[in-house]
Amino acid sequence: MKQFRSMTYPYVAWIAVMIVLPMLLIVLYAFTESGNDVLTFRFTFDNFVRFVTDRVFLSVLWRSLYIALITTVICVLLGYPIAYAIAQLPGRGNTIMILLITMPTWVNMLVRTYAWMGILQDEGVLNGFLGLFGIGPVPMIHTSFAVILGMVYNFIPFMILQIHTSLDKMDKNLLNAASDLGADRVQAFLRVTLPLSLPGVISGITLVFLPAVSSFFIPKLLGGGQYVLVGNVIESQFLTSGDWNFGSAISMIMAIIIMLSMYLTRKADVSVASNGKE
Amino acid sequence: MDERKPRGVGGRLILALTLLFFYFPIFYIILFSFNDSRSLTRFSGFSLRWYEKMFADSTMMEAVLYTVLIALLATVISTVVGTVTAIGLSKSSRVLSAMVERINDLPVMNPDIVTAISLLMFFSVLAVRKGFATMLLAHIMFCIPYVMLSVTPKLRSLDPNLIEAAMDLGATPFQALTRVIVPQIRPGIVSGALIAFTMSFDDFVISYFTTGNGVNNISILVYTMSKRVNPSINALSAIVILLITLALGVVNLVPILREKNGRAAAKQPNRRLLAAAAAVLALAILIAAVAGSGAQRRRQKDAVEKYGSAVLKLYLPGEYLGENVISDFESQYGVSVIVENFDSNEMMYTKLQAGDSYDVLIPSDYMIERLIAGNYLQPIDKSLIPNLDNLSEAVTGLDYDVDGVWSVPYFWGSVGLVYNHENVDPAVMEAEGWSILHDTDYAGRIYVYDSERDSFMMAFKALGCSMNTDDPAEIEAAYEWLRQMNNTMSPIYVTDEVIDSMINGYMDVAVVYSGDATVILDENEDMSFFMPEEGTNIWCDAMVIPANAENPLLAHEFLNYMLTYEAAFDNSETVGYASPNAEVLEEMSTQEDLYAENEAYLPRSDGENDEMFHDNITLQRELSKYWIRVKAEN
Repeated sequence: MKQFRSMTYPYVAWIAVMIVLPMLLIVLYAFTESGNDVLTFRFTFDNFVRFVTDRVFLSVLWRSLYIALITTVICVLLGYPIAYAIAQLPGRGNTIMILLITMPTWVNMLVRTYAWMGILQDEGVLNGFLGLFGIGPVPMIHTSFAVILGMVYNFIPFMILQIHTSLDKMDKNLLNAASDLGADRVQAFLRVTLPLSLPGVISGITLVFLPAVSSFFIPKLLGGGQYVLVGNVIESQFLTSGDWNFGSAISMIMAIIIMLSMYLTRKADVSVASNGKE
Repeated sequence: MDERKPRGVGGRLILALTLLFFYFPIFYIILFSFNDSRSLTRFSGFSLRWYEKMFADSTMMEAVLYTVLIALLATVISTVVGTVTAIGLSKSSRVLSAMVERINDLPVMNPDIVTAISLLMFFSVLAVRKGFATMLLAHIMFCIPYVMLSVTPKLRSLDPNLIEAAMDLGATPFQALTRVIVPQIRPGIVSGALIAFTMSFDDFVISYFTTGNGVNNISILVYTMSKRVNPSINALSAIVILLITLALGVVNLVPILREKNGRAAAKQPNRRLLAAAAAVLALAILIAAVAGSGAQRRRQKDAVEKYGSAVLKLYLPGEYLGENVISDFESQYGVSVIVENFDSNEMMYTKLQAGDSYDVLIPSDYMIERLIAGNYLQPIDKSLIPNLDNLSEAVTGLDYDVDGVWSVPYFWGSVGLVYNHENVDPAVMEAEGWSILHDTDYAGRIYVYDSERDSFMMAFKALGCSMNTDDPAEIEAAYEWLRQMNNTMSPIYVTDEVIDSMINGYMDVAVVYSGDATVILDENEDMSFFMPEEGTNIWCDAMVIPANAENPLLAHEFLNYMLTYEAAFDNSETVGYASPNAEVLEEMSTQEDLYAENEAYLPRSDGENDEMFHDNITLQRELSKYWIRVKAEN
């Protein structure tokens, strides 16, 4: 297996240079004092203390995690049946559906979000449609509904892709074997299909949850600026206050918290995977 | 198989609803690309003007090319590297694979701005010239983790004995890899490639900070040009969708046609896909090469002799130029201008700090103070700019550069309130001034600009303080003022989207920059503009030449050109901000077919409470902290 192991060396070198080194600069900023926006080497914990002792920042972080969590849960609940339905299609339909689902993501996120802003206005298309039935106008723009809708719209394709991948090319003999052994369709799904697709679900969760925590364009535009999220705060530290040190510290804290939660999910993943094999 | 039918009906329904959900906004985008007006919510008639504008805009076409090129290259490279590495890791020690996975999570999880800044600093430490290559490297960097995230779960569910079996049967490791493993994990590879392509195609922040020298992608244009809701962007999206649909159509139809003709070997379509991708890639590179060399070489000999180089690098806010200013300058002087845009002064400052070089910048007053203090600028040689005589008195001798040593004014304006005079009595507006933002009669009907600078300016002015105050008691009072507004008025915090929203009349009162207000008033007759007596921010954006400019001589020529009547007129008419050119200013504000009727155009120059901002980083950080608190503390 040595040949295979050596295939990883180039990438290990690559991430050392392209990810770890640049990130070290951020860590350095997080642990130093802010001199007028140049990197000083005066070591300090102040940036972290400032974050932890200000309940506003903590509540912002909490809200970001909460919104990302809800988005992720909805993406799993909607994404799974969609991926399952696609996987049932015959070969070419399968490919075409996956392409159809990915294609909207090639339109710029800002443009798509602007479109949702227009659609969700009180005078927008959706309320116009509801008006035909004498309903509304239902306030939608600048509500939590709009924020979650925008987030789900943006992230769910990744969930669908990941789950579909794990369902696609699944060994159909396993299902036949299960039904030969007397399992009905529900049982076969719960005992065979679901466990086999879990790695896909988990990598889908990673792909949705991680970027969702730090997203801010969608909540900003659809939530009317009242949804201050951690991505927003970090961005403003770098781009308006010019406080790179504090911005770096916040992103480090966020990274550590997410790493911890991902560690727990992955642990679940490993135990599921090993259960599957026994 | 007889189970398929009932499942099929439910499945079809799910899929139909899914497609409806996904394509509803897309059709909406396409529909409004044909809209006659700027609005993205009211369809006022069919028109192709945004398509004409898009095709006439060479930067847009170039951006499409760069976007596709980078996305294709990044996807191919990251898919190969990511897959190979993931396979290698599946045979490596747990420690190593866990470590790589954790590190991979970093770019996925970090806000783009953090990754962007880290790469920006990294490249500037290495003193690499930013452009296509650096942007491509960055894209490959953030795409590989997505590929690995897609491939790894497939590898986990692979029977580890497969490879041993293959090799026992005489396969070389390479054969085992390509003939056994890859086919098994193909769905993972495909979805990894799709996600990588998406991420690269849609990335703004990281691209913005890792590119330079005029290499832009679509996202950079969208974010820096859509300030005033630019439906050309919709037209661009529509074209992109069309192109992709065509490409996919061809790729998917060819195998079907082949099958009809029989003879297709089972493996063939796969290779054809690769061949198609390669062909597209080759084509794109060719176009890029042709476009790059042809246009630039023709005219520039004279300019090179005169100025040393025929390229001018201009860095300014988005949508800040007259329609023909740049092309006129280019043809008149036989040079080419690379235009880059920024969203905020701070964004520009970040790039300067990293050592990026430009010939002309157009920052705001307070930022010019900061640049002067930081030795970022070179003094202007006034003998090279005879048109300085054209300057209006209103913009000479301003605080940030009293003697005009470092800067030449470009636009100036104010901040005020746009209101719907059908719903808000002008007399009430005049009586209340900034306090209208505390008048609960209009609760839920106001837009406030989402920036600590402008919000605290209003609060300070409403309380009768200087907007440059750093007195803790006054800051505390202003914070209370804003907090009360936030808690009693449920304001919506907006930035550039306020323009479209007020044109559509969604709200009654909005805090708006004067040039944006000019546009709003132009499009919606119900809107008026008001500058409160309590005072407001009068600001000035000016052209400066950085110390590290590569072509200072041509830069002076550009500054001089922008002060000509023609250029200043074009700028002011297109953008809606007040001109620094005395003659243009006079004409715009007195001629009826121009901006005479538009009270937002001409800033007040006699308001005794009006002020300009001074640069004070400590104060700004303090205010930023309070501003987050105002918005997030409920």
